Amino acid sequence: MNVSPVDQAVITQALIAAADEMGIKLIRSAHSPVVREAQDCSAAILDHQGRVVSQADLIPIQLGSVTHTFRACLEHHPLETLEDGDFLINNDPYSGGQHLPDIFLFSPIFLDGTLIGVTATVVHHIDLGGGAPGLNPDAGDVHEEGITFPPSRWSIDRDWNGGPFERLVRANVRMPEATIGDLNAQFAANAVGGERLKGMCRKFGTQTVFAAMDEMLSYSERRIRAAIAAAPDGTWRGEAWLDDDGVGNDPVPIRASVTISGDSIAVDFAGTAAQVPTNLNNPFASTASSAVACIKAVLTDPDIPFNEGAERAITVMALYGSLVNPRPPAPVRARLLPSYRVVNAVMNALAGAVPDRVIAPGFDTTTVSCLSHRNDDGYNIYLEIFGGGYGAGPDNDGCDAVDSMLSNCSNIPIEAMESDYPFFRVEDYSLRCDSGGRGRQRGGMGFQRIYRILDSNVTFATYGDRFRIGAEGMFGGGPGATAETFVERGGQRIRLRSKQRFPLSRGDRLVVRTGGGGGYGPAGDRDAGMIERDRRDGFASHP
Amino acid sequence: MRVGIEVGGTFTDLVAVDGESVRTAKVPSTPANPDEGAMHAIDAAGLDPGAIEELVHGSTVATNAVLERKGAVVCLFVTKGIRDVLLLQRHDKDAIYDLRYAKPEPVVRRRDVIEVDERIAADGTVIKRPDRAAVAGLVRGVLADGDYEAAALCFLHAYANPDHERLVAGVIRELAPSLPVTCSHDVTREFREYERASTTALAAYVQPVMAGYVSRFSAALAARGFAGRFSIMQSNGGRMPAEAMARNAISALFSGPAAGVVGAVRSVAGAGYRNLITLDMGGTSTDVALIADGRPELASMTRIDGLPVKTPVIDIVTVGAGGGSIAWTDDGGLLRTGPGSAGAVPGPACYRRGGERPTVTDAHLVRGTLRADGFLGGRMEVDRDAARRVYRPLARQLGLSLEEIADSVIRLAEVSIVRAIQQVSTERGLDPRDYVLVSFGGAGPLHAARVAEDLAIATVVVPPHAGVLSASGLLLSDHVHYRTRTRRLAVSEANMPDIRETVETLQAQARDYLAGLGIETGADFDRVLEMRYLGQAFEVPVSLAGPDLGTMPAAELVARFGEAHRRIFEFEKPHGDPVEVVSFRVGVKAPPPPMPALRRPPSAGATELRSTALTERGEALDAGLSTRANLGRVPAGGPLLVDDGSATVYVPPGWTAACDEHDNVILHRETGP
Repeated sequence: MNVSPVDQAVITQALIAAADEMGIKLIRSAHSPVVREAQDCSAAILDHQGRVVSQADLIPIQLGSVTHTFRACLEHHPLETLEDGDFLINNDPYSGGQHLPDIFLFSPIFLDGTLIGVTATVVHHIDLGGGAPGLNPDAGDVHEEGITFPPSRWSIDRDWNGGPFERLVRANVRMPEATIGDLNAQFAANAVGGERLKGMCRKFGTQTVFAAMDEMLSYSERRIRAAIAAAPDGTWRGEAWLDDDGVGNDPVPIRASVTISGDSIAVDFAGTAAQVPTNLNNPFASTASSAVACIKAVLTDPDIPFNEGAERAITVMALYGSLVNPRPPAPVRARLLPSYRVVNAVMNALAGAVPDRVIAPGFDTTTVSCLSHRNDDGYNIYLEIFGGGYGAGPDNDGCDAVDSMLSNCSNIPIEAMESDYPFFRVEDYSLRCDSGGRGRQRGGMGFQRIYRILDSNVTFATYGDRFRIGAEGMFGGGPGATAETFVERGGQRIRLRSKQRFPLSRGDRLVVRTGGGGGYGPAGDRDAGMIERDRRDGFASHP
Repeated sequence: MRVGIEVGGTFTDLVAVDGESVRTAKVPSTPANPDEGAMHAIDAAGLDPGAIEELVHGSTVATNAVLERKGAVVCLFVTKGIRDVLLLQRHDKDAIYDLRYAKPEPVVRRRDVIEVDERIAADGTVIKRPDRAAVAGLVRGVLADGDYEAAALCFLHAYANPDHERLVAGVIRELAPSLPVTCSHDVTREFREYERASTTALAAYVQPVMAGYVSRFSAALAARGFAGRFSIMQSNGGRMPAEAMARNAISALFSGPAAGVVGAVRSVAGAGYRNLITLDMGGTSTDVALIADGRPELASMTRIDGLPVKTPVIDIVTVGAGGGSIAWTDDGGLLRTGPGSAGAVPGPACYRRGGERPTVTDAHLVRGTLRADGFLGGRMEVDRDAARRVYRPLARQLGLSLEEIADSVIRLAEVSIVRAIQQVSTERGLDPRDYVLVSFGGAGPLHAARVAEDLAIATVVVPPHAGVLSASGLLLSDHVHYRTRTRRLAVSEANMPDIRETVETLQAQARDYLAGLGIETGADFDRVLEMRYLGQAFEVPVSLAGPDLGTMPAAELVARFGEAHRRIFEFEKPHGDPVEVVSFRVGVKAPPPPMPALRRPPSAGATELRSTALTERGEALDAGLSTRANLGRVPAGGPLLVDDGSATVYVPPGWTAACDEHDNVILHRETGP
């Protein structure tokens, strides 16, 4: 069936708008600050065959997993068995998911008894049980990280709203009101997307919408393939290193070889380290999402709609049992750390193919800052995701103090935090001057956050990286500053590891510092006006 | 005589009302000195400034100061520890795959941000009181070092307790009496420090520019004998005396689009239309807004140049679809229209000013919905052959005829407008079918009917003088002042007295403020409570304009919130789930004297009907030609082009057009979509 160019454009815009609207309403009706302020969530619309056709531009790494988690659901519950009022859920890192806190929720949408598509949302939930509130850096397996919801089908009427599944969730989490509230926000956003999808089918006819969805996938695929075809053929290699595995002190390598051939790309992670006993393992879905996101960012224009069609031109291979394709039940909570080194390794390889399109490595690390407090009323858990400085580009300084590439979390305003978490106060939130790598273009700066602890029974939990190996500069640029975390207690400075739990005392000052991005080009070539501005504004004391 | 002068990007429009007579003028703007263009408009209309009793002015002075970064040198005082609040922003990106992402550039440099050792907690209690002597020393040093034109203050939790901001502002005023000082708690009393600091910094930044402009323009007017009242339009659709605006310039940031909305609302009110969607389409963009029951909705936040502004603005959505929007195909072969625009220079190809890219205006000439010999009532010459020429490559590429491609390009522009209208309607749980579409601006009436059709809207209204509607909006606007306050209160019977008292206090403050400026107000208050379920972070506005809060039980307030929540989110929690009020917004207004209808004398001549060929939606049509003056009360059927001097109204097949007794052109859809 042929769709006229005008109808195609209208339906394309409407589907993208509907996914955006789902994302906005998800954020606006959610309960936890990690969703409503930090916006750690995503939304997507799938067609009647379960293929992702449009996504809200929220968190790239989560979006990459929508396809994988839904396919795992379909293995147990094929499309033709789904009914109106069903929902499907999955957070299993070994069934297409990434880490347990990200719960994928799918609502099949029916019009006059026909399945016309599926709406999907994913939210980072604040606590799903496990060995410690919010985050358990000491987990030795995935079970110690929380409860797994395997790919499974439920009924809203029967199982939710006080039903057995809701009660199961409620019984296994530390902040049930927040978790149920956030899941309700997911249900509501899915319903909004469903209404929009039904409206489109009523207006244009279901078959026209289906055909337009097909074309959306082909369109994205065509544009990605055109961009790949414009790059030279060949094989290039890149590598990147994690500081350590969280226990020992040896760097952990991630290696990628990227082969461009015509209009497709193959990425192979042969040579990458074996899986590790701590939570730094990268489920395959995360590895694939990270590689695809990097290739898209480097090679293509930002306006290509990201959907399943965009992934057809890219093949990713990783050895089973390696860090980037671990065996269960390896813990995976900190999967974004290896995901970023996947990005670095792939970008490093692409630098050989298209040197003018890459940027220097950035801080490229997700630093989680989690403070939990327990009193007679139960738990209160704060969690925030920190980025750092971006790498500099050929003609721009790296962006300062911003979330890294695979994520896009906002900060939580100090004024919101202190209202929701009375057990600490923020004493400082500032740029780290001189943390950007020197160069003709300066790397972006990292930042610091200082918390004053106001009560007892507070525990800090974190994971991060680049405490030892800073972001390298490119084409003669200098490295970005490394990160550090410490506690000031009674005149003492207690240094913390990058992955650790640590009990705090009333009066402690907790200092979290993230690092900078690498510089680009020799520092001697930097523009005199920029040097003077950096000096006067205190961004950098020397070029 | 009362005069409204609206300075736009391209044209400066004037409407003058004297008794029953109405005069209008349209002259080119003078962006470097906007007051010159305003004076030219006065001269063009042949007005004597000495005879003007009341002058209402709208200008882009504040907006341009931000966009062109020509505001004041500002020093910003913040709580110790948050010096980088303007640079850190919200730590997110609005383009997730852009490797060379740059944040919006703040209007205050880092070197000009000063930390003050003070602290207040979230509940307003004082943790560290600033030491007055130390503050005085700090301020002296700052003033000695920098050549500052304005000062701004934003302290943590100042919305809960403004004492420290007041103390430090007092010290600055003492040491530098001529330096304008802006405190965050005066600009907006809402939480989230980045958004509040950004708004405060912007307020200080535009302040001296606006004050300078107002005093220069006032002096120029006075020199020519003007001794009347002078007021200025705000982003919230109300006006303020100029001398007060010079102290509160931030509230003028979006006055242009606001004036258009007010003009539309008031112009069609006489004909009884109270539920409207406005469509203001110009050369580069289209502004749309939704008005329920004659009251424009206010949004509590907007952005300028990427920077958040937390002051009430008329809730307008802008899309990059205008007459100058450029048609193109992307590298996936998809046809696109906009958001790139040929602007005024070089402009559409048909203007023959060097434009070589196909635009929406060119597409209208190609398909015949604009006629080369009737452009702007025949006052401007355009080249249809140039329009056809620039569309040939696109037509070849997509295998379509020239008319087909032109038609598609226009459809896509309309799709963007439809999308903008959905953002203000369906996305907020409102059904566009319950509204009439009011269309104005040079290009709006050409697209209005088809846009309405896509939204299943049955009626389109094109008010008289659609081209200068913003200027008449100035004269039709109320004096308005808003007060906001963040105060979290659970909705319970026990708290109802507190809720009522907060509203009443804000009402009294707003009323007293206008009274202090010599403006008496009645009892017409806008009361909006921003409410949410306990645990949510985003509020749903609940308007209490009608009912009497004095006797409302808590359960009723909860029920009203529940309705509002369901409209937006498609769900409502069971009654009994705790609900809280987070902030209060109260506005008071003083209406202007009535204005005579902008009506022209009925046409004496008989209807002269000619016809013209056009192509639309793949069909070759023979359309009638008419003018507003020639349209009668009896509906004429489409296809029809109505030439209105400054705009052309397109009446498609299936639609009728008539002129009502208020001189509005009314389009009706006869058939279903």
